Amino acid sequence: MASVTITDVWKYYGKTMAVKELNLEIRNNEFMCILGPSGCGKSSTLRMLAGLEFISSGDIYFDDVRVNDLPPRDRDIAMVFENYALYPHKTVYENMANPLKLRRTPKQEIERRVRRAAEILEIEPLLDRKPVELSGGQKQRTAIGRAIVREPKVFLFDEPIAHLDAKLRSHMRGELKHLQRDLETTTVYVTHDQLEGMSMADRIAVMHEGVLQQLGTPEEIYNHPTNEFVAGFVGEPPMNFLDCTLERTNVGLTVVHAGFRLALSEQQASLLTAGGAEADVRIGIRPDNIAIEPGADGALEVPGEIFVTEPLGGDMVVEVTIGGDRVTVKSKIGPMGGPGDPCRIGFAVDKLHVFDKTSGVAYF
Amino acid sequence: MASREIVRYRSPLRSVLQGLSVLFLIFFFVWTVLPLLIMVVSSFKDLLDAFQLPEVGDFGGVGVMFDFEPTGAHYVELFTEKHFGTYLRNSLIASLGSAAVSVSLGSMAAYALSRAEFRGKRDLLFWIISTRMAPVVAVMVPLYVIFRSSGLVGTLPGLILAYTTFNLPFAIWILKGFFDNVPYAIEEAAQCDGCTRWQAFRLIIPLVAPGLGAFIVLCVLFGWNDFLFATIIGSGGAKTLPVATAELVQPVKIQWGMIMAAGVVTTVPMMFLGLLIRRYLVAGLTMGAVRE
Ligand SMILES: Nc1ncnc2c1ncn2[C@@H]1O[C@H](COP(=O)(O)OP(=O)(O)O)[C@@H](O)[C@H]1O
Ligand SMILES: [Mg+2]
Repeated sequence: MASVTITDVWKYYGKTMAVKELNLEIRNNEFMCILGPSGCGKSSTLRMLAGLEFISSGDIYFDDVRVNDLPPRDRDIAMVFENYALYPHKTVYENMANPLKLRRTPKQEIERRVRRAAEILEIEPLLDRKPVELSGGQKQRTAIGRAIVREPKVFLFDEPIAHLDAKLRSHMRGELKHLQRDLETTTVYVTHDQLEGMSMADRIAVMHEGVLQQLGTPEEIYNHPTNEFVAGFVGEPPMNFLDCTLERTNVGLTVVHAGFRLALSEQQASLLTAGGAEADVRIGIRPDNIAIEPGADGALEVPGEIFVTEPLGGDMVVEVTIGGDRVTVKSKIGPMGGPGDPCRIGFAVDKLHVFDKTSGVAYF
Repeated sequence: MASREIVRYRSPLRSVLQGLSVLFLIFFFVWTVLPLLIMVVSSFKDLLDAFQLPEVGDFGGVGVMFDFEPTGAHYVELFTEKHFGTYLRNSLIASLGSAAVSVSLGSMAAYALSRAEFRGKRDLLFWIISTRMAPVVAVMVPLYVIFRSSGLVGTLPGLILAYTTFNLPFAIWILKGFFDNVPYAIEEAAQCDGCTRWQAFRLIIPLVAPGLGAFIVLCVLFGWNDFLFATIIGSGGAKTLPVATAELVQPVKIQWGMIMAAGVVTTVPMMFLGLLIRRYLVAGLTMGAVRE
């Protein structure tokens, strides 16, 4: 149990910059997810927290203690690695008992805690096996078990479930979240899978090219992304982006695209004016926020042509060509027609995002 | 994973080759085992029996070679009059001592070279192995001069040091390969668990045990079989088995029985070492789970 404060932390590997001027505060008992594409500096950040990597500049504090110069063993952290990093020559039991043994825990206490962790993770029957004899999911549970047998100040997870198959992954998401709530321990969880971040974290820190892009709750990140990168990274299928121009009319501001015109609300217009938006902007809208109906003569305002449909059981994803651009629409499954058929779509203007065309910063 | 079975297809050529390989194996077996057999058998014969040989070409008469009263006299004489007990001890101390020093220093150096990145690492590695490239005779004279002036000639520490000069670079080179195959993440996990760097190093030692085992054998064999260092540097106070055996060869009345017995005494400990270490070597095959 501890809060973690990262202030002005930089990480260089030789000349390669991995983390740039990171400031992040992780609250006591919080589940913090560091989310970003591969190579964005997530692992580097986590490894600096663990003490496995030198901090090029800046400071890290656990509560009020500066830990920069403490080796991992003195930081009281427990880490779960991407490829599990179990001890191949030790049994599951010995793997999990190792951290306790190193702390000279009495034998009965080790036994009690390992059994308890194994029970929580449902790996009791495997305690005598060696890692070679385990499946991916079982190895991963063992690695987690090794972390939870003691009560560390901070849990560090580096993509712990990235290598499991989809079904097991979705199961483990729930389990891990539940476990973290149960254990009430500050947790930093690194992943490139936005779904993991969205579904498990209290707060998400989105990183890109070593730079923290946005820090917020999953709801904030999803509904109010601060820039085009965050908007495009979070959500599945990803947000649609279209190059448009802003036109001032007598009723206010209108977004103009080759295929449609959208009148913005007064509030949206004032945000754009306040932000000093130029005429050329990029708009973003999520596939869920576009309505679609088949046929050329429906009630929706924008005519389009179906490019492809992808039924997904209950829902379907339709790609529609409008004014030379393509947008992705998500709707309930129903008769839609095939490629080349006409359709009409409608945008939920209140869910629209507008970004600066060059910097990618969101106006709203 | 695909099965490791080797697919075979029958063909006339294949059966011929198979027949030939069986013949070759039989020949090879006789070739390698016969000298050992003769050595062991002869060591139990007295002087007269040793020269009971069948006529050339008389394969039926091979029996006369095995028609004798076994005697342990040669062994008794070796250990009572010829002090082979001392030489056996010297051989063991010199070869095991050098193996112990080489493997403990070598594994630490290999670990460091495997884990750390620094400027000139490749050059350093090459320099280390190149010290092993020079033929033994080439360094013998300078080494002898150095050893004599430091009073190491004719002592066991001197012999251990001499063997170590040759074993250590080899140890570093080979063991580095084994450490390279152990993922660093395992040590990182150990450090997070609460290990110091040193404890983490000790924790992964079992993972390189096959390498250590194989290497101990090589080091021991190098020292055990060595003749050159043993005659020159070990002469006097640190006589080992090969040197002592060679000294049994006298101009007249060669004691074949005793020489054969000395051969057996020299060979048997190494066979036991092989058996002892085999477990570790085999373990290496199943420990392949380290990667992944
Ligand atoms: N040991 C290293 N040596 C050199 N460059 C590294 C090292 N580790 C990571 N990097 C570089 O630092 C950047 C960030 O890496 P990392 O933190 O592992 O990203 P992530 O975990 O988000 O995929 C990448 O460009 C990567 O190539
Ligand atoms: Mg990573």
